[in-house]
Amino acid sequence: MFSETAKPTMRSAAWRLSLWATLAFACGTMVVFVFLHQFVAGDIQRRTDAWLAGEAGVLSDVAGRTPKGALYGRVVREVAELASREVPHSRGPGTGQNDSVFFLQTANDGSLALWVGAGDANAHLSAVRNSRIVPNTPSSLHISGFDTPFRVVCVKMANGSNIYLGLSERDELRILSQLRLRFVLLWLLIVFIGSAIVFYSTRRVLRHVREITDAASRIGEEDLSSRVPTTHRNDEVGQLALTLNRMLDRIERSIRQLHTITDSLAHDLRSPLTAVRAKLEMSLTTSERDETSESIVSAIEDMDRLTEFLDCSLDVAEGKANALRLNRVPIDLDDLLRVMIDLYEPCMSEKGLSVQLCSSGWLEISADAALLHRMVTNLFDNELKHLPSPCKVTISLSAADDDALLVIEDDGPGFASEVSTHIFERRIKGRNSNGHGLGLAFVEAVVRAHGGTVEASNRSEGGARLTITLPLSAAFSSTVMKPVASASV
Amino acid sequence: MRLLLVEDEVEIQGFLQRSLTEAGYKVEAAGDSRNAERLAIENKHDVLVVDLGLPDEDGISLILRLRQLGLNAPVLILSARRSVDDRVRGLEQGGDDYLTKPFALAELLARLRNLVKRSTSPNTEATRLRVLDLELDLLRREASRDGELLNLTPQEFILLEYLCRNAGRVVTRSMILDEVWGMRIQPDTNVVDVHIYRLRGKVDTNGRGPLIRTLRGVGYVLRDR
Repeated sequence: MFSETAKPTMRSAAWRLSLWATLAFACGTMVVFVFLHQFVAGDIQRRTDAWLAGEAGVLSDVAGRTPKGALYGRVVREVAELASREVPHSRGPGTGQNDSVFFLQTANDGSLALWVGAGDANAHLSAVRNSRIVPNTPSSLHISGFDTPFRVVCVKMANGSNIYLGLSERDELRILSQLRLRFVLLWLLIVFIGSAIVFYSTRRVLRHVREITDAASRIGEEDLSSRVPTTHRNDEVGQLALTLNRMLDRIERSIRQLHTITDSLAHDLRSPLTAVRAKLEMSLTTSERDETSESIVSAIEDMDRLTEFLDCSLDVAEGKANALRLNRVPIDLDDLLRVMIDLYEPCMSEKGLSVQLCSSGWLEISADAALLHRMVTNLFDNELKHLPSPCKVTISLSAADDDALLVIEDDGPGFASEVSTHIFERRIKGRNSNGHGLGLAFVEAVVRAHGGTVEASNRSEGGARLTITLPLSAAFSSTVMKPVASASV
Repeated sequence: MRLLLVEDEVEIQGFLQRSLTEAGYKVEAAGDSRNAERLAIENKHDVLVVDLGLPDEDGISLILRLRQLGLNAPVLILSARRSVDDRVRGLEQGGDDYLTKPFALAELLARLRNLVKRSTSPNTEATRLRVLDLELDLLRREASRDGELLNLTPQEFILLEYLCRNAGRVVTRSMILDEVWGMRIQPDTNVVDVHIYRLRGKVDTNGRGPLIRTLRGVGYVLRDR
């Protein structure tokens, strides 16, 4: 109960939908980025390689044309330094030394012929020697003392010496890492904003669906006159609300029609019954002869039974259509049963039946008093009419969760097997029954109209058992049942 | 005692008028709400009997309008409907009463008597009731006949008290169920009769003249003569 109220958002469809949408969105943008990253990295390398190839070509050209003299080293060095200036200084302009570019020329025997660059020439030389660099094809080279590899291109001179031009990949990697960092930040931002947008928009739509559901269930339980809320927009949810309302219109019309029929039937029959009953009553007071009055009396009793049958019959019909009108008031079931037992006990003991109530006391339900009284009357009448002597009727009343549990057991012959499957249908009665066969159908109609259940079975030890549940009143559940429940935990 | 009867069914109006006149009421009858309103304004009635199903208006609307016009007399509502609606319940709480058709004439008369009694003498509760040689002490919840204490259960005492209060008049089974057990039900069995038999077994014993009489098909009466 607690978790349901504490985290309703986590359980909502809006939350689930936005989680899935966010996941899909995040994956999609990540794939796009990986492609973009590959493309940018490839492009930077292509440009680097093109520059290296060009510069190496120029340098080899210069080295090839410059005569091997005292000036050779200076000329080549200046050209190499010129080339290295095109590359931005990674350590800032103030250092003067640019360690991101190096120029290396080896002699025929592999010894160092010329070195232009920052740092240790021997480290570069040994790295170049140890690698198998294919001439004119740029490749990556790790040099000890540097974190980032160099992109190196090698040009073979006509005299057998090799010219190596290397460019640090530091800048390339720095650009790519900056790209990645910015992307991740941007990615987090748009994923967050996107999921928030998805969450709030789905929640808005689903909140409307929830409102419709709540209204519809309220309408189902209480009155048919109200309608689910509609929106001005003509979207799916709006259509749903409109369709539901149209359906409710139709149901309300049908139910109202049913009520009109049953009411006018009752009214049209009761008025002549009133007149006939009055005439019988008047002739009873004027008639002197006993045998005449005897038949008048039985006619009056028949009429009263007919009236009750009419009521029950119409109530059952309405109950079957879920259209029974309830005028709910708080009723203490325990008190009602005590009053009923008080009323029925003499009659039952006269017939050799005993009745016992097992109840834990006050148990309040919200019910239609008139219907409930008649229902309990039916239950007692049923026992009284069908049980042979001597029998014992046990009525137990208890609370189970949010329901009142009423169990009526007897040690009589039980329900006949031919009726037990149709026990709650109209006009079903045992062979030896003299009732109108509506009793239990009426009980079921009333219980169902109040949101309860009723079950009939035969006890294994013999006799019948009728189990009825009726929802406790909300006030009773919250004030009496809940403190008990929490105290027991 | 002036009574206004508002009932559109001619036949029922006829016999009600006859029986109520016989019972001592000065009855004026109306068949629709327009006439009823005119009569109610012209003459001051002590009690009204109003059927809910009038041809031109709902009976309750008529009663509510008459109340707004200053009518104070209690109303007995006759209803041919199965369920009692909220407005009738409201009126019942306001001191009026209702009866569903078909009804026993005795019950109609009893309810009318109660209405008039309630509205004229609201609270002069006697502490003792006396009918012939039967005496009820309402404070000590004791009943005695000819000075001899009767051994009654609390429920039997309430039943006997109700009969005593209506001594000489017929009470029906449904009136007893309503007054003593507080339920408007129609049991399919003789539960009330058994209570009366038991009570009679305690009240009408030892060769004393029987007090509780059964009127078959109608109800019971406690003799007061």
